[in-house]
Order: sequence, then structure tokens, then C-alpha cells
Amino acid sequence: MMDQEITAQLKKIDWFEELPDKMLFGLATKVRRRKLDKNEVLFNKGEEGDSLFVINAGWVKVVTKDTKGGEVVLNQVGAGEIIGEMALLDNEPRSAGVVALEDTTVLELKRDDFMDILKLQPDLALSVIRNFSSRLRYSTQYIEMITDMTQRVAQGDYSFIGDTQPGQLRRKSLSDQDKIGQLLAEFFAMVQGVKQREDELKKQVMKLTLQIDEAKRRQEFEEITSTDFYANLKQQAKKLRKQRTDRN
Amino acid sequence: MGKIISIHSFRGGTGKSNSTANLAALVALQDKRVGIVDTDIQSPGIHVLFGLDAKNMGKTINDFLHGKCEIGEVAYPVGDKAANSPGRSNLAGKKLWLFPSSIHGREIGQILREGYDVNLLNTGLQTLMKEFELDYLFIDTHPGLNEETLLSIAISDMLIIILRPDNQDFQGTAVTVDIARSLDVPKLLLMVNKAVPGYDYNDMKNQIEGAFNAQLAGIMPLNFELANNASKDLFAISTPNHEWSRELKKVADAILSAD
Repeated sequence: MMDQEITAQLKKIDWFEELPDKMLFGLATKVRRRKLDKNEVLFNKGEEGDSLFVINAGWVKVVTKDTKGGEVVLNQVGAGEIIGEMALLDNEPRSAGVVALEDTTVLELKRDDFMDILKLQPDLALSVIRNFSSRLRYSTQYIEMITDMTQRVAQGDYSFIGDTQPGQLRRKSLSDQDKIGQLLAEFFAMVQGVKQREDELKKQVMKLTLQIDEAKRRQEFEEITSTDFYANLKQQAKKLRKQRTDRN
Repeated sequence: MGKIISIHSFRGGTGKSNSTANLAALVALQDKRVGIVDTDIQSPGIHVLFGLDAKNMGKTINDFLHGKCEIGEVAYPVGDKAANSPGRSNLAGKKLWLFPSSIHGREIGQILREGYDVNLLNTGLQTLMKEFELDYLFIDTHPGLNEETLLSIAISDMLIIILRPDNQDFQGTAVTVDIARSLDVPKLLLMVNKAVPGYDYNDMKNQIEGAFNAQLAGIMPLNFELANNASKDLFAISTPNHEWSRELKKVADAILSAD
């Protein structure tokens, strides 16, 4: 692949968009191109991560495991998107695994190479900081939105569902690190589900189901009215009412 | 002409005594002359709502039924004993008399063992109507359909059945309604108590009125405040803006506007 083509790819990454072309070109020379077959593992959760990947062509899935060991797909990532950029800055193990969904090409940038350029190019460091700052700002906004929604749901107010476009909850296509945005989207979907179930439940309890066993009703009536006491009472009641009416 | 109103429920726990006491108080507040007879001799309870206890209770319905006193001597004049509780104090000067049953276990046991002359109770009630010139005499009955309950239904001008919105109460209410019609009770009113929130109350009213062919005068919600009140005051008087009180007021209005 031509370095120029790689440069164009790198330019799409937030961190690098403000970097001068000359610097980008320098960065591009360090980038290694890797081909993945369908179902090939790029890296596993828990592995030590020391490089960033840009998807050049194809699709990968970001996966983790549930408590029973089954695969849970967190996200699908396609051309132009980045995976594992945090690994360039910290030494933490990979927080999720990545597997190719089809034949895929990725561009790999190693941490050591990135650090070398960072030392030579303070503007790149600034750009990275700005990117983090903006991400933090978005995260804060997302947290505020989740807080607001939580308070409203607690009060039984679901009115915001109608006013919210689920699309606007995601700033842009997600990298696997953009967990807060993902949480917000999932949270919103959960609220929709809760509201729907609550509506269904309301429909169920709203209507009374009045049932009377007519045979039992007749039987009990006959048991009470078939006694001598009752026959006598009925007679007396008639007389009494008549007396009281006559007196008035 | 005064009216005898029996308040009945097929099962216990419907809030019958509480509703009866509050209804009688609401009617008395309209300057009517009102009596309440506790014929729930097996498990009396209504006296508590009027601040009556073992210490200040005088003659009882039990004494009358055993020939120990005249029925008029049983009267406890609620209006003259205006308590300083928020609800009852409103009844000061009102013409409201309570005719309590004995709360002494020995006397309750005696009446359950020996029984009593149902006709004597009837004569006593008719005497009360005359002597106290009552506009309304409320009878707080024992749940179920035993002899004294059948008697009070038979001599009533109006029967009010209190039910909870569940199928066991619907079943029992159906039988009670049939009995009331068989005994030619002129007026029948239904009221729902302890309705759980979340129901469509209009739908409930339509269904119940349709099933029993009788007027449903009020749907009172399950009321935890009333339960916490522990039957010590008249809730509908002390807390008139509560939904429970407003619905009970509708029942009182239905009583007052009946022919």
C-alpha cells in the first residue's frame, strides 16, 4: 500500500486530523498493514495491548464473554474506524477481544513508534489531549443525560422517549472505547422496554374480572331460605313494614 | 319517617365498622338524628371509633337482650361527649347515639352459648326509632348471613353491602343481594372498599352495577393512612379531602337523597 493512501486513512482519525501532512507521512511509514481471514482473531480480551488498529477494509466484531463463557458481541466496527487506541497510551490489558467478521485489512501502529513521533511532535500530543478532553466532555454530557433520564423514570415520567431520536444519542460511530455512549444507547433502549412492559402490565390490572358461580349462588340462597326461621322472618318482615308504613 | 339502614359484608375485614361509623357521623353532621346499633355481638368494634372503652362503657345491647335494662338506657350520646380528637370534636352537639355491644368476653360468651330472642332485638330497634325520633338508624351487622343479620336485613329500609373487589366477595355479595330482594328490602346500595390503585374505576363500577343490578355509591381505595389511624378517630371527618373520605361522602349523599 502506498504511504499516501495510509496517510489519508490516518487523517480520518480524530487524534491525527490536526497533524501536518509531513508528520502524518512520517507516521505512515511506521504503520504495518495486516490481513485477517474471516473469523481470525486480531487479539483476545486480557492480552497485553501495545498497538492501535485502523480498519482499512472489511468488518470486525468487538467481543467479550458472559458469565457462562458465551460470546457477547459489544460492537461491530468497519472501514475507517479505530480499535484499541488506548493501548498507545497505557499498558492495560485489552478490555475486549476483536475477531474478523469477513476478510479484513487493518493498519497497525505500534506504541513505541507512536511515542517516538510524540516526542518529536508536541502538536500531536496537544491533538491527542484535545481529543481526550472532547471525549470527556461528551462522556459528561452522556452521564448528565442518563442521570436526567433516571430521575424521570423514577418518577414515572417517560415523556422524553418521544422527544429523543435514538440516533442522536451516539455522537458518531463507536470505537470499542466509547463505552459511555454505548451505555446511553443501551440505557435508552432499556427505558423503552421498561415503559412498554409497564404499559402492558397496566392494561392487565386495569380491568376487573368479575366472576360469579351461579350454581353455587343458587345453592347457598336455597340453603338459607329453606329454613322455617326464614319463612317466618319473611312473613314478619312483610307485616312489620306494613305496620311502620301505616303508622306514618 | 325514620329509616333503618343495615350495613353488611359477606366476609370480615372489609372495613365495615369503620365505614359505618364514618357514614353515621357524616349523616349526623347534616343535622340528622342518627343512631348506630352494634349488633356484631360476636366481635364488637365500632365503639372504639367513638372513643368508648371498657372503662367508660355503660349498659350494652347484651344487657337489653338479657332483660337487664331498657334499650334506651344503652344509648351513648356521642354529641354530648365531644372528644378533643380532630374528627370526633366536630360532632359536638350533634344528635348521634351509639348503642354498643358488650366487649366483655364473659358476656359475649353467654350470648353465644344461650342465644337470644331475635324478636326482642327487633322490638328494641323499633323502640329506639320512636324514643329517639331517629331519622336514620344504622345497624352494624356481623359478617355472614346468620339469624340476627337476616333479621336486620328483613327490617331494613335500606341495605348497604360493603365489598372488596375480589371474586370471593362478589360471590358472597350475590347471595346477599338475592336475600335482600327476597326479603323485599326497598333500597339496596353497594360500596367497594380497599380498592387497589391501578384499576379502571369506571369500568369497575359498570361491571359491578351490571352484575348486581344495584347502585354502586362509592369506590374507596385501600387506605394505609386509615390503617395507621388504628381506628382511633373518624377519618372521613378529620381528613375530608382524602379520596377515601370523598368517596364515602358520595355514599352518605346517596343515603341522604334516597326516597
